[in-house]
Amino acid sequence: MTSPRPIELVCPAGSLPALKTAIDHGADCVYLGFKDATNARNFSGLNFDDKAMAEGVRYAHDRGRKVLLTLNTYPQTDNWQRWTGAVDRAAAFGIDAVILADPGLMAYARKAHPGLRLHLSVQGSATSYDAINFYHEHFGISRAVLPRVLSLAQVEQVIANTPVEIEVFGFGGLCVMVEGRCALSAYATGESPNCDGACSPGKHVRWEQTPKGMETRLNGILIDRFADGERAGYPTLCKGRFEVNDETYYAIEEPTSLNTLELLPELARIGVRAIKIEGRQRSPAYVSQVTQVWRAAIDRVLAGPAEPFRVEPAWMAELNKVSEGQSHTLGAYYRPWK
Amino acid sequence: MKIALGPLLYYWPRQSTLAFYADMADAPVDVVYLGETVCSRRHELRLPDWLEVAEILTAAGKEVVLSSQVLVESESDLKTLRRIVSNGNFRVEANDMGAVRLLSSGDAPARNWIAGPTLNIFNPTTLDLFADLGATRWVAPPEMSRAQIAALRDGLGHDMEVEIFAHGRLPLAYSARCFTARHYNLQKDTCEFRCLEFADGIPLKTREGAPFLTLNGIQTQSAQVHTLLGDLPAVCAEGVDLLRVSPQGAHTPEILQLFRQALDGLIPPADALHEALPLLPAEPCNGFWHGRPGVEQRVPS
Amino acid sequence: MKIPAFTLPAPLARLGAHLPQLPPTLALVGGLNLALDRVLPRDTLEPLTGKRLLLKVTDAGMALRFTLTPRGFRPLFDGRAPDLTISATTRDYLALALREEDPDTLFFSRRLLMEGETDLGLLVKNTLDAVDWDSLGTQLARFRLPLPTGLHTPAGGH
Repeated sequence: MTSPRPIELVCPAGSLPALKTAIDHGADCVYLGFKDATNARNFSGLNFDDKAMAEGVRYAHDRGRKVLLTLNTYPQTDNWQRWTGAVDRAAAFGIDAVILADPGLMAYARKAHPGLRLHLSVQGSATSYDAINFYHEHFGISRAVLPRVLSLAQVEQVIANTPVEIEVFGFGGLCVMVEGRCALSAYATGESPNCDGACSPGKHVRWEQTPKGMETRLNGILIDRFADGERAGYPTLCKGRFEVNDETYYAIEEPTSLNTLELLPELARIGVRAIKIEGRQRSPAYVSQVTQVWRAAIDRVLAGPAEPFRVEPAWMAELNKVSEGQSHTLGAYYRPWK
Repeated sequence: MKIALGPLLYYWPRQSTLAFYADMADAPVDVVYLGETVCSRRHELRLPDWLEVAEILTAAGKEVVLSSQVLVESESDLKTLRRIVSNGNFRVEANDMGAVRLLSSGDAPARNWIAGPTLNIFNPTTLDLFADLGATRWVAPPEMSRAQIAALRDGLGHDMEVEIFAHGRLPLAYSARCFTARHYNLQKDTCEFRCLEFADGIPLKTREGAPFLTLNGIQTQSAQVHTLLGDLPAVCAEGVDLLRVSPQGAHTPEILQLFRQALDGLIPPADALHEALPLLPAEPCNGFWHGRPGVEQRVPS
Repeated sequence: MKIPAFTLPAPLARLGAHLPQLPPTLALVGGLNLALDRVLPRDTLEPLTGKRLLLKVTDAGMALRFTLTPRGFRPLFDGRAPDLTISATTRDYLALALREEDPDTLFFSRRLLMEGETDLGLLVKNTLDAVDWDSLGTQLARFRLPLPTGLHTPAGGH
């Protein structure tokens, strides 16, 4: 048995301290975004201005790591130049790859910056090798990030039928919908991940202590109500409790995180090229904790058969601690979850 | 202005489905989209059955389009997709990029396919690119506003028919998980086809009892019924070519009739909306068209 | 206690240091003003201008009311309803400031509460997260910020 191919650990950076923390703790790549709607974590105070971008890229490159830039929202007619401008800035900053979802923007990037490496964002909703190969044939994408909908066998099938590197989500907040195919936030607030770079944006969220408990509303719509001491989740509308046929429960998804640590050897075996950690909206403390665990786990797998892989209980404890709902799931990798 | 009947998003028993399309042969609708777009487990009608319905509707003078599945996961999904693309008779609505690839490559690429609403085409550069690959009609994503659709159209370098989602519960999201099965504590693989029991999906309310969403297998829809009946003057002024009406559990023929009469000037749009209200499974909304949260109902100006 | 390689954020350090001696709101506002422009980017925090902010230290029974004006942070002395309320214990505030706890983690477990305009809370959280204490370390030393004993960290240590 040979050692598996190297797997890159791709960590989130919502700020310069998060980037440095990720690099210091063993991330192979960090991914980040500009401070505007060109990326899918367009939150107040988050992301990189030009000064932080320059320093972040330098910090990573000095240490032989890569910086990936998310430009994964869909430009509209009237703001098209902002997105192409962002591609130009990415190239000027020496970004190692841009993560795109819009085909028009890919065509632009390819023409304007032929040397710039392109990744297909999870927001591109490509779930089959035919879809991924479409982007490869027309825009020369080098890597695709898979939406969190496929089983392990299906991921393997994709990898076997495409020359494009495959990146999958390993850990973090679980988007239960096919990324790029969800307008729930737009329906409730008028702002969507696709076009505005934010799901259930903060300016529409209200938390309020009421006699019935702590209520969270999104643009006035009651998403959930928590009794004293009951664990809370993000105010994303797919993770609220609702009434269906007189039963009140998490009708779509519990507040929980995806955690595929135990699948790592399998992911390596089928040829997954990179593991993505979700959480650009999280603090440097989170990035530090999660990066350390995944670095150790990937190193264990890459050590090959000499050192059999096993999930350390301490790893799981550390990851559960920072998980939404302090619980985790294998998501679509585990068929009964569906 | 043509009226198009969108693909049936719900899972109805075979006889109900066939009866529904038999009615459509006589209904005031110009284009009919056929096929299963939501869940590959639904098989009351299989592709050969859909093709048979297609023949009947063609004979009745309708333009028929085959819609591809939105979420393609397995090799067998891809197999179905290849059969739809190579049917040789009917135009195809591509609802994912795999379908686009299959339509636009090979020895005889299709030159007149339809770019579906889930392709996320939001700007003219992207739509022009699909036009170069053979798309001749674009179905706008439902979340796009009147202004955004108009701007895209103005910037377009190709001739392209524009279709908008004009009536029905909004298809808002797709998942690997089945929320209908989840409601019954069943796994998707052994779901007992519970969707068959709900002609309009399962209503989901907030903890205050306010209607919010509709569970339809792996698809999540709005609870409110998006309808542009009252906005038809603005819709027509925008030069939209087709209006998509999404099948609902009951009264679809009457809804189509109201659209046709309003478009032909036989009845004022405001009156048409008023007459439609008792025929809807829930309250109306039209926020997306007005650049607002989709759930809102704006009084047409 | 694991101590990361950066100095304590000025506002909380001053707060911690002066709790018994000074009215805590003045200490907080003074600390924030010292940090403003030097550590906290004013343009990023601009949306806080005129907003009524309430910081509750639950175990100490303290309620600190303040706002941001064009001339810096100012205490508020009336009891009108705040636009944003943040509540936690002294220990958790300190853990957050030291980046030993992730705010979302505390939030999930209801140890950090946020009421009112959530976006303002996110702005505060993300702005504090974005402060690069490593590179500010030398710069800050020049201001001779008073740090509570035991919270000093050796430069470069992890």
